[in-house]
Amino acid sequence: MTELIPELKSQTNARDTLLASHQKALRPPLTPEEQKRPFAKYYRDPYPYDPAKLAKMDTPCDPSKAIYPEQINDLLNPGTLDIEIGWCNLPNGAGFIASQNQYPGVTAEMIDWWFVWHTLEDLRYRIWYPPAHAGLVISPETRKRFLDPSVPFREKNWGQTHHVTEDCECGQDNIDITFLSPKDFGFDMARFKQPFVSTFAGGFGWACPVEKKEDSLTVPALMCHIFRDIPGGIEHRTRFWMGYRMSNGKPELTLPPGIQVPVPAVQGLARHNVKEFANLGKMLPEIHADMKGQLVV
Amino acid sequence: MPIKMMAASRKRPGLTRAEYFRYIELYHGTIAREEPSKIVTYIQNHVIDGAFGVLADRTHQQVAERDCVVELAFESFRDMIMALDNPGGVPSKAAQDGKFFADEPNNIVLMAEEEEVPVPTPMPKFNPGLGFVQGVGGVKVLQYLMRDDEVFREDYYKHWHEAHAAAVETVPAMKAQLRRCILNRRCRLSDNDFEARRHFGMVNMPVYDAVSAYWFDTMEQVGAFRDYNEVLQAYPKRFADWSRSFFLYTRPIAIIRDRPGYGPVA
Repeated sequence: MTELIPELKSQTNARDTLLASHQKALRPPLTPEEQKRPFAKYYRDPYPYDPAKLAKMDTPCDPSKAIYPEQINDLLNPGTLDIEIGWCNLPNGAGFIASQNQYPGVTAEMIDWWFVWHTLEDLRYRIWYPPAHAGLVISPETRKRFLDPSVPFREKNWGQTHHVTEDCECGQDNIDITFLSPKDFGFDMARFKQPFVSTFAGGFGWACPVEKKEDSLTVPALMCHIFRDIPGGIEHRTRFWMGYRMSNGKPELTLPPGIQVPVPAVQGLARHNVKEFANLGKMLPEIHADMKGQLVV
Repeated sequence: MPIKMMAASRKRPGLTRAEYFRYIELYHGTIAREEPSKIVTYIQNHVIDGAFGVLADRTHQQVAERDCVVELAFESFRDMIMALDNPGGVPSKAAQDGKFFADEPNNIVLMAEEEEVPVPTPMPKFNPGLGFVQGVGGVKVLQYLMRDDEVFREDYYKHWHEAHAAAVETVPAMKAQLRRCILNRRCRLSDNDFEARRHFGMVNMPVYDAVSAYWFDTMEQVGAFRDYNEVLQAYPKRFADWSRSFFLYTRPIAIIRDRPGYGPVA
């Protein structure tokens, strides 16, 4: 009776998903069913983040050293860029965020697995960062693709949308994140190879508050998580460009002239990113082994 | 064409259709054409006929009258905002003129991006006597597809594509006579239209995630669309709320279509 497996049972429709986000945003205790899941033990206090790294998010970085989304191929250069950890408003008003982490014991295969595995039930997303992650739903068609063994893990997310409820230090938002292939995100595929990159997860998102009011804004952002192998593990570099969307395969600034993404929103996402990936980086080797790299558990 | 604004409006109370069409095309269209702006194309689709909901509905579930759909295209979102909102300045003459012919509180407005959907029989380059202009079509059908609110937006687009392909394949006349098809996908930036809603006094404007557009050579061929629509509605995977969907047979009129690199398209 495959219909009864939790990976299918967790499917809700679009209307109920939206309605349920109000309750999820309160981050209620786990249900008895959730407590029985083999990964429920990961719903716990997160691993501590590096305070020095978080401190770098206290004040904005120099915008002249930030990169724009049109420059993403700079991330394929050897070495590092001027800003690897920091945030700021760009002169055009967009919000820029950079973050860098090293994860001992993590492989590109684990990253590819995680970005699919965590979408199949709310609890899988919640364990990523319990203090702020409230839930995640994918559509029935996306679920079908994710559970299709003929689609490689690395490609499963291409063109697919995650409907996320999370708090990036400005209140709980509903965020629709559509993942893209590296090519569709704008990477030069002739340069997209080892040792400059081992895997990638990114795309564009639209966020609006769970408690949406008539004048609440739905705001776009571009998200880039790019990984490269380092001895004994993997290096993760994040970039966000808030206020940008993808238009016909190219980044487009959507802010009217004179408008900038609010500072608390940029700084909040920057801080949240440091915290959530500190936990994930440490947890990933353990949970990947626990789940035997499978999706259905 | 990166982004466009589509507004389905009906004539204001007290106007006949003839008066409305004359005003919107000749007076309003001239104002829009003469006013400097970053509009790259401006098409008015004058409604000839249409249907709202389905036969099984006992009564209409929303305003069931549309007289024109205007499409204003821009190269970027910023250009659109500057042209429509004119931040910090006086609204454009064209924007101020709307109240003289349109029932503005009942407009259906969305920002959309075009997806060209290949057709089996596109219009040949030499097609004298048929079609609005070369490469387009004499009649344009616009279908406002209300998403079934249980269906995720991404699945709705996927299912529409599947249903559309199946329906074109099933209806020989559609396969032979459909000259062009575009799926206008609603852009999420439309979510931020509260100031426009407030300004025009709009109440509960229905939200359409897609407007499909179909071009035919002549009015006699729209029967193909009717058959196609039957098959579309019967598609086994749910994606649309047909009671709140509608289609319009229209005559496209180009107000602005001569900007470099942007013609002829209607």
